[in-house]
Amino acid sequence: MTEPTVIFEEVSKFYGEVLGVNRITLRIPPGITSLAGPNGSGKTTLMNLMTGLIHPDHGSISMRGISSRDPERLMHITGYATQYDAAPRWATGFSFITTGLLLFGYRRPEAEEKAWKALETLGLAEAAHRKMASYSKGMRQRVGLAQAIAHEPELLVLDEPLNGLDPLVRAETIVLFRFWAAQGKHVILSSHVLQEVDAISDRVILIANGMIVAEGKIRDVREEIQERPSKFIVRCREASRVAALLFSEDFITEIRLNEDRQGLLVLAKDRERFSRSIRRIALDGHEIDSVIPADESVDALYEYLIGEGK
Amino acid sequence: MAITAVNGQEDLMAVYRLGYQRYQGPVAGRWARLKVIPRFAWRRLFQQRLTVLLIVIALIWPLLCAAFVYLANNAELLKGFGKQFQSFVEVNGDFFMAFMKVQAVFAVFLAALAGPGLIAPDLANNALPLYFSRPLTRSDYALSKLAVLFGMLSLITWVPGLFLFGMQAAMAGREWFWANWRLGAGMVLGFILWILLLSLAAMAGSAYARMKAVAGGFVLGFFFILGGVSELINGIFRVTWGHALNPAWASHRIWCAMLRVDPAAGPGVPACISMLFVIMFLLALVIERKVRPVEVIS
Repeated sequence: MTEPTVIFEEVSKFYGEVLGVNRITLRIPPGITSLAGPNGSGKTTLMNLMTGLIHPDHGSISMRGISSRDPERLMHITGYATQYDAAPRWATGFSFITTGLLLFGYRRPEAEEKAWKALETLGLAEAAHRKMASYSKGMRQRVGLAQAIAHEPELLVLDEPLNGLDPLVRAETIVLFRFWAAQGKHVILSSHVLQEVDAISDRVILIANGMIVAEGKIRDVREEIQERPSKFIVRCREASRVAALLFSEDFITEIRLNEDRQGLLVLAKDRERFSRSIRRIALDGHEIDSVIPADESVDALYEYLIGEGK
Repeated sequence: MAITAVNGQEDLMAVYRLGYQRYQGPVAGRWARLKVIPRFAWRRLFQQRLTVLLIVIALIWPLLCAAFVYLANNAELLKGFGKQFQSFVEVNGDFFMAFMKVQAVFAVFLAALAGPGLIAPDLANNALPLYFSRPLTRSDYALSKLAVLFGMLSLITWVPGLFLFGMQAAMAGREWFWANWRLGAGMVLGFILWILLLSLAAMAGSAYARMKAVAGGFVLGFFFILGGVSELINGIFRVTWGHALNPAWASHRIWCAMLRVDPAAGPGVPACISMLFVIMFLLALVIERKVRPVEVIS
């Protein structure tokens, strides 16, 4: 059975003469996918295209087999939380979510049951019948998430979903994303906080100036950037000796010794050969405590692929 | 939160279980869904004291008119009055015209009060993507918002008007009904035209201005400014066709034809109808341009 996929085929969107996104081709499998890129790079345009709020000028979009031009079917499988705090302040969290569900066509008892479930999931049960004017920023952010998940969509599109959440709620929300992804749903989110993107995502899409700069699993993307040597932090007792052994290899471009003389920052052009060398050094009796990739992160990819272009 | 990590291993990548099954039960059809927005808006509007107060005040005139209908159909009560008064107390086109004129003014104020809250807050809070990420099109959204005002304004226009007509028909008998059914139909159609015009003006103002106070001013200004412009044209060029630019005058001219009341000098019914449709088309165009889920940069 083929897994449901989000497919962008040569998608371009222009706002008059302003570029939104250009010639985007993507295949996103279920799981957590993060969109990362600078302000104005096209992340929100991409999300609006996914949810059918805007249509591409060129190309086609299929969301788990449903065209983005078929809102009636698409919206039943899609939950969208925008980056804006758009919930009316005078309404209660419960009435807001229930009304949204009635718009989906659920009968009132079902809508109320689902609204309650969504609010409970987001930890808002106690505040459900309070007016949203009394909610904190984090609570309103969670209401935004609750309205997106209340109709139990298969595809969640979340624009900056972690903004305004305190660290504890952030961690709980990330667990929730993983739970949804584990059910085979698509969780597509955008974030500026790159460490979070790193921690959350199964795959990332780096976007700049309306174009996809890189896409895939973070490690795979990093491996493809061959013009930049990979960075590793090596912790060991005999750092100077290990550095000398490594320097004999031609794929090593730079080694920096740490101040405590028990650590090295190694820049290697070939990851595989570096792995083999460090294994050999360890087998020769040199105590190696740890080898950690220093640039297998969205931060590093961002800097290599987008930061330098700016 | 109620959910815990998958298998208690929070650091693992998601493992796809693919066991999720979404809701497969029945859902309401398009028209049933369209009623959700007006219901939500009405509940909100009826929580506002000023709106309720205005509706109550607007129903005083229909009550007086009902008393007039009662009086007109009780010859014994009129015995003590002179013939001139007795001929005045008659339920005819003039009576319904007087009823409509007063209620039409209240409808303008109610539209200026209730209309601005329709679209402006959704635009100001970027809430349109929320609506359109439901199975709801732009025309569905606009229709729903139109229904909010249509319902509110109906309460003080054709609904009490129809009550008066029914009361008169019940008291005066079948013959009166068959001789005057056009009055009832004209009154309802005339009010529907007026409500459409007001609703579109209020929605366009709400969509364009974004700020509620400005949008309310737009509704009032729409009638006053166009009325002023039409008078200016008539005065400068010494003509009467300028009246057609005044939506209130043009509507009144159409009502006169429907209720068979002598009209004032000015453009005829076809010109007035055409002008009103042009104005309504332009207002609808403003709404169409403004009600978009995403701001379009030009």
